[in-house]
Amino acid sequence: MSLFQSSLREISLNLHSKPGARLVTLLMVALAFIVFNTFLIISWNLQGLMNREENTVGMEVFLQRDLSQAQGRVIGDNISSIPDVQSVYFVSPEEAEALFRAELPERSDLLDVMGSDFRLPASLQIVFEDEAMTQRRLSELARQIEALAGVDEAVYGEDYLPGLLKTVTTIRRLVILLGIVLVSSISMVVFYTVRLSVVRRSLTVDIMKTVGAPGWFVRIPFVVEGIFMGVAGSAGGLLLAAILSKVLSGAVAHRFMPVSWMTMVILLGAVTGTVGALAGSYEKER
Amino acid sequence: MNLLVTMNSVRLSYGRWPALDNVEMEIRQGEFLVISGPSGAGKTTLLRLIWMGERPDSGFVEVSGFRSDRIRKRELPQLRRKIGIVFQDFRLLDSRTVFDNVALPLQVTGTGNRTVQKRVISLLARMGLSHRRNAFPHELSGGEQQRVAIARAMVAHPVILLADEPTGNLDPEVSREVVDLLLEINRGGTTVVMATHDPRQVPAGKGRFLFLDRGVLRRADRWTELDEES
Ligand SMILES: Nc1ncnc2c1ncn2[C@@H]1O[C@H](COP(=O)(O)OP(=O)(O)O)[C@@H](O)[C@H]1O
Ligand SMILES: [Mg+2]
Repeated sequence: MSLFQSSLREISLNLHSKPGARLVTLLMVALAFIVFNTFLIISWNLQGLMNREENTVGMEVFLQRDLSQAQGRVIGDNISSIPDVQSVYFVSPEEAEALFRAELPERSDLLDVMGSDFRLPASLQIVFEDEAMTQRRLSELARQIEALAGVDEAVYGEDYLPGLLKTVTTIRRLVILLGIVLVSSISMVVFYTVRLSVVRRSLTVDIMKTVGAPGWFVRIPFVVEGIFMGVAGSAGGLLLAAILSKVLSGAVAHRFMPVSWMTMVILLGAVTGTVGALAGSYEKER
Repeated sequence: MNLLVTMNSVRLSYGRWPALDNVEMEIRQGEFLVISGPSGAGKTTLLRLIWMGERPDSGFVEVSGFRSDRIRKRELPQLRRKIGIVFQDFRLLDSRTVFDNVALPLQVTGTGNRTVQKRVISLLARMGLSHRRNAFPHELSGGEQQRVAIARAMVAHPVILLADEPTGNLDPEVSREVVDLLLEINRGGTTVVMATHDPRQVPAGKGRFLFLDRGVLRRADRWTELDEES
């Protein structure tokens, strides 16, 4: 048997001895990760929501129905001359209908029900310079535009957007904070579990040393044990979070996190497990 | 004759009391050395110094070219592969068979499978343990367990065998067998150091006797003298 093979054998012997002792640790790691994953999912969904909103920031100005296309364009020209307006795009009723059918195909039957005489209102889509994107300036602009003759209504993410931005920032900070707490607490849990394992198997450790096993050979089963607990714990947490997400998807519409984030979670588990295990299996002398 | 172990002004304390005080001694290659003394005299500590499970507070121990004050942590395994150790309480690994216990010193150095098989099987045969090869330690008698432990200590062909009260947990008859086995190993060329509180276990003339008294080493040529001293 090569040294590598006998090392693998020792690793497997260690993992198979007293699996019950590790179960509690695994459960703790998994539970900690469920909490973390929940926040990741919330963060991911809010982020997605915000990205969509950001794309439509700007303003949609609905025109009164009796206006002709030419009159609509004149209003558009007037708006273009307002400071902070970057561009104005005229959306005709036909184009509005095409957009509606493209973006909400499952609702396009609504238009059919309305009959062929029905026309969506013409509108102007306005994009502002970035500097204008404050709540105050946006509401000012909305008031100014609504005052124009022929304008029915100016719509933008009025009370919605700034609150969302703040929530996303808060959640993101929370996720980072939680990540730090998670890393340190899981490292500790793994540290103590590995320590316990070393003590429980102290006879094996002592005998290995007295018969001349290299230091890494003695240590590696415990390091692998720690990595295993980190990876299995984080994977378990991910799985439980996925089940939870599935169960709740009926009540709260949301998406699970992307694969890259899941990989990150597992990696975090591995790193935390490794750190805890290296520290837990460290011995100064002999 | 070749010196295998040298102790030079070795002092070692646990807390306030010295466990060993100014120990000077040499172990020659091929000899059978008996270190005797009452319980707590420092016999175990002396052996631990030889396999460097302990380092002296002052002075140094030199074993087969390795010096306690210069050896690096990663050199310890190299030293230990030259040393076989037997304990009073056997210290066999309970979840492994007799074969795996004996094979351990070879496996941790990456010895090839075939060599391991050959060496372990022939050693077990010589020790009369062939039929116990797949048994677990708790299924063996005390004498058998100690023979397995001796086989484990010898399988990697150490230059020196350290036996710390190897008969301490055995009845007199089995003790005699174990001492005979150690003497036989010594006749095969391996240096043997045996620590015991009862030096009468080794026939006079079969070895060199040293006496430890509260950490101080005294010379004694015959166990009868020891008897009077203690
Ligand atoms: N790990 C230790 N910690 C504290 N004291 C110890 C330790 N090991 C041994 N001693 C003390 O050192 C002295 C020598 O012990 P030891 O070498 O075990 O004696 P022996 O083997 O001759 O019975 C004793 O007084 C013992 O109590
Ligand atoms: Mg002792």
